[in-house]
Amino acid sequence: MNEVAKVIFDLLWYKTKRHALDHAKTRMSLIMNFIIVRVRKQTIVVFIGCLISRLVPLKVYISSMIVLFVCFVNSGFSSAEVLTKSASKAKAVVQHNDNVTNALIELGKRLFFDKRLSGDSNIACSDCHQPQYGFTHSTALSPGYPGNKHFRNAPSLINTALKTRWLHDGRIATNLNDVVREMLTEDYIMNMDMRLMQERLKQDLNYLALFAKAGLGEPSNSGVRKAIPAFLTVLKSAKNNHDLNKLTKQAKQGKKLFYGKAGCSQCHSGHLFTDELPHNTGVPENLSVFLDPLRHQTFIAFNMFMGVSDYMSLKRDMGAHILTHKADGSDIGKFITPSLKELIYTAPYMHNGIFKTLDEVVSFYNKGGGKDRYLDKKIKPLGLTKVEQKALVAFLKSLSSPVDIAKKYIDQEQQYSYYLIEKWQQKTN
Amino acid sequence: MNRLKHEYVRLFIILVFILNQNISASQFPPLTPLGKVPEPPDNKTTAEKIALGKLLFFDGRLGGDGSTSCASCHVPEMGWDWPGKLSLGYPGTIHWRNAQTIINAAYYDKLFWAGASKSLEEQAKSAAKGAVAGNGEDDLMEARLALIPEYRQQFKTVFGDEWPKINNAWNAIAAFERTLVQTDTPLDRFLNGDNGALTIEQIAGKKLFEGKAGCIQCHNGALASDQAYYNIGVPPSREWQTNPLAQITMRYELYAKGMDEQQYRHTKADPGAYFRTKHPSMKGKFRTPSLRYTLYTAPYMHNGELANLTEVIDFYDAGGFTSEGRTTAYPATKSKLIKPLGLNNNEKKQLLAFLQAFSGKKITIERPSLPAYKPLFSKNELKDVKK
Repeated sequence: MNEVAKVIFDLLWYKTKRHALDHAKTRMSLIMNFIIVRVRKQTIVVFIGCLISRLVPLKVYISSMIVLFVCFVNSGFSSAEVLTKSASKAKAVVQHNDNVTNALIELGKRLFFDKRLSGDSNIACSDCHQPQYGFTHSTALSPGYPGNKHFRNAPSLINTALKTRWLHDGRIATNLNDVVREMLTEDYIMNMDMRLMQERLKQDLNYLALFAKAGLGEPSNSGVRKAIPAFLTVLKSAKNNHDLNKLTKQAKQGKKLFYGKAGCSQCHSGHLFTDELPHNTGVPENLSVFLDPLRHQTFIAFNMFMGVSDYMSLKRDMGAHILTHKADGSDIGKFITPSLKELIYTAPYMHNGIFKTLDEVVSFYNKGGGKDRYLDKKIKPLGLTKVEQKALVAFLKSLSSPVDIAKKYIDQEQQYSYYLIEKWQQKTN
Repeated sequence: MNRLKHEYVRLFIILVFILNQNISASQFPPLTPLGKVPEPPDNKTTAEKIALGKLLFFDGRLGGDGSTSCASCHVPEMGWDWPGKLSLGYPGTIHWRNAQTIINAAYYDKLFWAGASKSLEEQAKSAAKGAVAGNGEDDLMEARLALIPEYRQQFKTVFGDEWPKINNAWNAIAAFERTLVQTDTPLDRFLNGDNGALTIEQIAGKKLFEGKAGCIQCHNGALASDQAYYNIGVPPSREWQTNPLAQITMRYELYAKGMDEQQYRHTKADPGAYFRTKHPSMKGKFRTPSLRYTLYTAPYMHNGELANLTEVIDFYDAGGFTSEGRTTAYPATKSKLIKPLGLNNNEKKQLLAFLQAFSGKKITIERPSLPAYKPLFSKNELKDVKK
């Protein structure tokens, strides 16, 4: 009863707040489940009792069976769960954790679109990872922090939570918490001093509420590095035509090529269609990295920071070399195989956005990749006909969610403002 | 016998009094003309270095997003400081202390309000890198310099390196700052023997300065600063009551400068030099600022709480209280030197007149036009790369 009162209170109190409504709904469904379980258990006891004592006429017996059946169907519980008390308790715990998780995701989403997470409050995560472009940027090279520009293509964030290795050179292979830290603090990305970020968040009432609800206490930089990854776990592909076995005839032909003649599956393997390993496919350099001083400065600073020697004279992206620093240079120009999912939303392609369309990408591989002394041995001319190339593209396109899953995040209208702490002298910081 | 004892005591008291007078007269270095600019042996000033430093002083590319140069907070036209109570700060922030003038900064042994830097070179670097100031990073700033051909050439001439080094940028800026001095004030002329350089009112003010008003106790020597730390009773910044950004910065500084949890939660005023030593006796203390060029640098004090020099004099006259009766949040460390002075209106006017003698003509400068970025490689050089 107490719970029901709480839900009603919530509904009245937070009439306008959508997330609060969701919260109330979840709690309501929890109560419904609880009632159903209770009712059913009592019914079972009565039902078995009646059966043994044969006090009940057959009509009542049958109708009670129907009620029981309806209860089962409605709740979607298995009978085992209904009969064990501990199981229902466990479910309640899971529900509770779900609420915390939902709050964490809600928090992460708000942070993702908040420009105040960058040093000069001018760019948010969502500026380079735009929902309308599959959480990438529509340009070949990412914009980067104001005052300079980035030298690589912004990768999609869809399914990023399923990866085990991040960034085109694969320099982070721990977890998304670390990736978020890097994105926030690097001077060419968001240039944020996280100590300042933390104090900014403490000055926004929405964050005070969201952090508390997510079980993170007061706003903190570690909380941010938990919440944003939590939001990223939501950005997952929906079932595509390939998953649903709904490939067109052309796509089916493409699939055959993909796993056969074209040899794509040598690297694009696994559920995300990537082996997550570095390969040199000879992708041509995007010359604007070197011709635009705003990009070149970032490139130089990055290589300087990564300990690459002769960084002033570099005329190519070193790729995984910044990580492995092989003396013979055999790791130069290697980039982590990207996932092939959601490709229809994420053009242009490659680590430097050098190809505008999938046709260009397929034609590039058909020619045997680019020229490079360290070219991966798997890369060789494929001899695909025009028709075959088209088929391959059709298959690649079938690996994207049929409906743009990022759509619901487009035009996120969030209000961001700082509030003044009144009577500041009397408050604790 | 008893009488003799009395006489001895009297004599002793008089002796102590005389000695004390002598001590207080010789205890403080007198005001003197400002001499030659000190120059560190490892950063000799040259004309080329000054020219380069001048460009860099005005260049926002020595900072995070290219927007904030040294001159953003040290505005030449505004007394080489920022006219607000608290300094401008990096975009998205407000700074937490009043920007100090650059003029004569070269004479200080310690820079910033709490003496955090020991040289102009170090000060420039800290200011360019702090999150609420320039928010720059070494690697990116250095890379930017490398892509500006004129800088490349000038750094090579001045420092002899193939590529500009970021630390040399601070050296050049410091060299430029050493040219921003004012040594020909009415006071300097007076101290050099030109008795007509000060008005009668100013001379009376000087007497008060060195006597009744007690200013000389801290504002002494050529710089009119003993460069020691005092808590004179300046009340906490009012910006913290009215500006959310100021509240953010205040907490950030407490957090970033390593306060313990208890102090982070409860500190509501700038602890000043406490950050340097973490000794409780240093709370609320700030380095004595020079009085030179102050005519152009209102508002005053480490947080700009006093709007003009009249307010400053009233503040000291009241024993370190503002007209609303506000004073320091750290009364325990308030300097014993600060006590009500009992100045009358005429004396205050004389003192104010004398304070003006510490400043000469306004110093301004023609802002330089900054060199542009240029690609390092030509298209052909890039196309010819064999991979």
